[in-house]
Amino acid sequence: MKIGIPKALMYYTYYPLWKYFFEILRCETLVSRNTSKLILDNGVMNCVDDACLPVKLFHGHVVDLLGEVDIIFVPRLTSINPGEFICPKFIGLPEMIKSSIRGLPDVLVLDYNAHKNIKNAYMAYIDTGKRLTGSSSVALKAFNLACSKQREYDRLLKQGKTPLDILELKREHNAGNYKGVVGLIGHPYLLYDQYVSMQIISKLRNMGYRVVVPENIEDACIQRACERLPKKLFWSYGKKLLGSGLTMLEKRMVDGIILLSSFACGIDSFIIELLHRYNQRQYKIPYTLITVDEHTGHAGFNTRLEAFIDMIEWRRAHEGHLSPYGASVSGG
Amino acid sequence: MKVTFPHMGQVYLAAKGLLDDLGVEVIIPPPITKKTLEIGTRLSPEMACLPLKINIGNYIESIQRGTDTILLSGSCGPCRFGYYGVVQKEILNDLGYDIDIIIFDPPDTGYREFIQRIKRVAGRNSWLNVARAFKKASIIVEEADELLEIGLKKRAREANSGETDSRLYAFEREVIKCYGSYEILETIRKYKGILESIEEKTGVFPLKVGLVGEIYTLIEPFVNLNIEKKLGRLGVEVYRSLTLNEWVKIHLSLDMGYRLHHRRILKKAEPYLGLCVGGHAWQTVANSIHFSQNKLDGIIQVMPFGCMPEIVAESILPRVYEDYGVPIMTLVVDEMTGEAGYFTRLEAFIDLLEQRRNRTGEKKPSLSGG
Repeated sequence: MKIGIPKALMYYTYYPLWKYFFEILRCETLVSRNTSKLILDNGVMNCVDDACLPVKLFHGHVVDLLGEVDIIFVPRLTSINPGEFICPKFIGLPEMIKSSIRGLPDVLVLDYNAHKNIKNAYMAYIDTGKRLTGSSSVALKAFNLACSKQREYDRLLKQGKTPLDILELKREHNAGNYKGVVGLIGHPYLLYDQYVSMQIISKLRNMGYRVVVPENIEDACIQRACERLPKKLFWSYGKKLLGSGLTMLEKRMVDGIILLSSFACGIDSFIIELLHRYNQRQYKIPYTLITVDEHTGHAGFNTRLEAFIDMIEWRRAHEGHLSPYGASVSGG
Repeated sequence: MKVTFPHMGQVYLAAKGLLDDLGVEVIIPPPITKKTLEIGTRLSPEMACLPLKINIGNYIESIQRGTDTILLSGSCGPCRFGYYGVVQKEILNDLGYDIDIIIFDPPDTGYREFIQRIKRVAGRNSWLNVARAFKKASIIVEEADELLEIGLKKRAREANSGETDSRLYAFEREVIKCYGSYEILETIRKYKGILESIEEKTGVFPLKVGLVGEIYTLIEPFVNLNIEKKLGRLGVEVYRSLTLNEWVKIHLSLDMGYRLHHRRILKKAEPYLGLCVGGHAWQTVANSIHFSQNKLDGIIQVMPFGCMPEIVAESILPRVYEDYGVPIMTLVVDEMTGEAGYFTRLEAFIDLLEQRRNRTGEKKPSLSGG
């Protein structure tokens, strides 16, 4: 059986797990091609207008797999940590796909829900494995092996690599000489999709900057940083983005922070607001928000990126030489 | 302590009754206007959903009238509403307002916290008093919804056009002067009688249209640009799916019969969406099916721009239409929505329904004239 894995949404987070899990179960996997204009257009055509870019892209990637695979893998990631959610659209994703795309082959839905108990979530994999092979013991074994691969991947991420380096580029980037560090915060499905993110990581590296991404930050730090919130943040990725942003600010790990968000992202609208306000009040580190949608053009994007980098460099060069006259030259 | 709360349709009646009974001084925010929206839009995150912006507008206008405490209900996700309180507090803090926001999260996250928060508001009232006040408030909610529902029936059939609306307007003017749940209830009951006595045209068979979608947008007339009134004036009888009364019955009361009924409706959505994705998406799909089975002429989904759960429902609704054959239209509102374009879409949809009904000839043609 050939399983199609759309290269969108949680692909960049869980690909090793999925790949090895299906391979050990002796299923062939096919990942959809890299995002292109065609895939994006297909996504836009097959999805409701009001959905956000990542969800449209997921539709596009599913369309890309049509006709080439026997079954398409659509994970329903309701919750990846107890008491937390990801996003309502992730929960309804299989339903959205089923009602929006015509001529769909069988859909393999993985009901991953750790909201009450993480064990329920593991059972999702066992059930899926059982559906494919008919044996839960084989599935359990495959899941354990795949998990160890996933842990290895996560460990590499914590060492400072980005998912892109591991999954796509496969070559070491020169981490030696760099002018500064930029914190790049955004959902994995935006940051590591070369088409949507306009290769922001490579562009920053070519400008001589090292990039720190949320995947590089230890979970414990994220957890600690989020404790200042008066109410538990119930979006796992919201927490990850806000927590890693705050960690970067607190530890002075970065010279500037770039937030990459997709237009009308519900969770980002709150996370960005909070991070922005905390930064304004306490840390005052250069900060910019770049919003992408299906219309974004390279030129405007590059201009903003260059302007931001210029700002960081000017700040470093002239910060000590500001005229003392007037109170708020730096906007404080 | 001078307490305020955000507007949401008829909530202010129940909230005022409740707080008056508890002896808490309450400031009702002025009715939502373009200015409220303007204030809210200016101060809120750009991509936040519309209810948050209007809430902020309500707060600021109440603060200008002397409020120092804000009451807000909460939830625990995945819908953004659950985090409103935190973000709103940060916004007000940065503006330099020293305001308390008391958030009532559902008690399943911790009864102690919930009880403490009630105590903070209720002060020295006995628990019996608090329970009594809550009970009265829930009766207000129920009767106020009944009042509006009479309005929906009457508006589509009234002999003198505009009469229902002018009576309801008089009600709003009168009820705002009341103090305590007793007076509020009396006023509601009086106007129920007045509405009932409105003269009807005979031989009218109004089109029946169901409203589904996000609860705030459905309940707050300013946000949905008075969709119920507009449809009523077009001679359409409106059926509401989410009402305050229903919300109270499901979430706060122990009415098991009603909960079972609610579950039965939700079950209808099973083939399309079998679980809660947050907000009211599940209800939207289920109620659309429910309305279709009850042979309504059309369904309109209303939601604020970027509402995460409703987008899921929106993408499923075309399949409900395919299977049941009742037309469904989605209207998205945000701070940019223009009234003219919105009304044109409504009119076009109603024209379409009317033609459809004439063609199929299932019912007698409408005499409302349109």
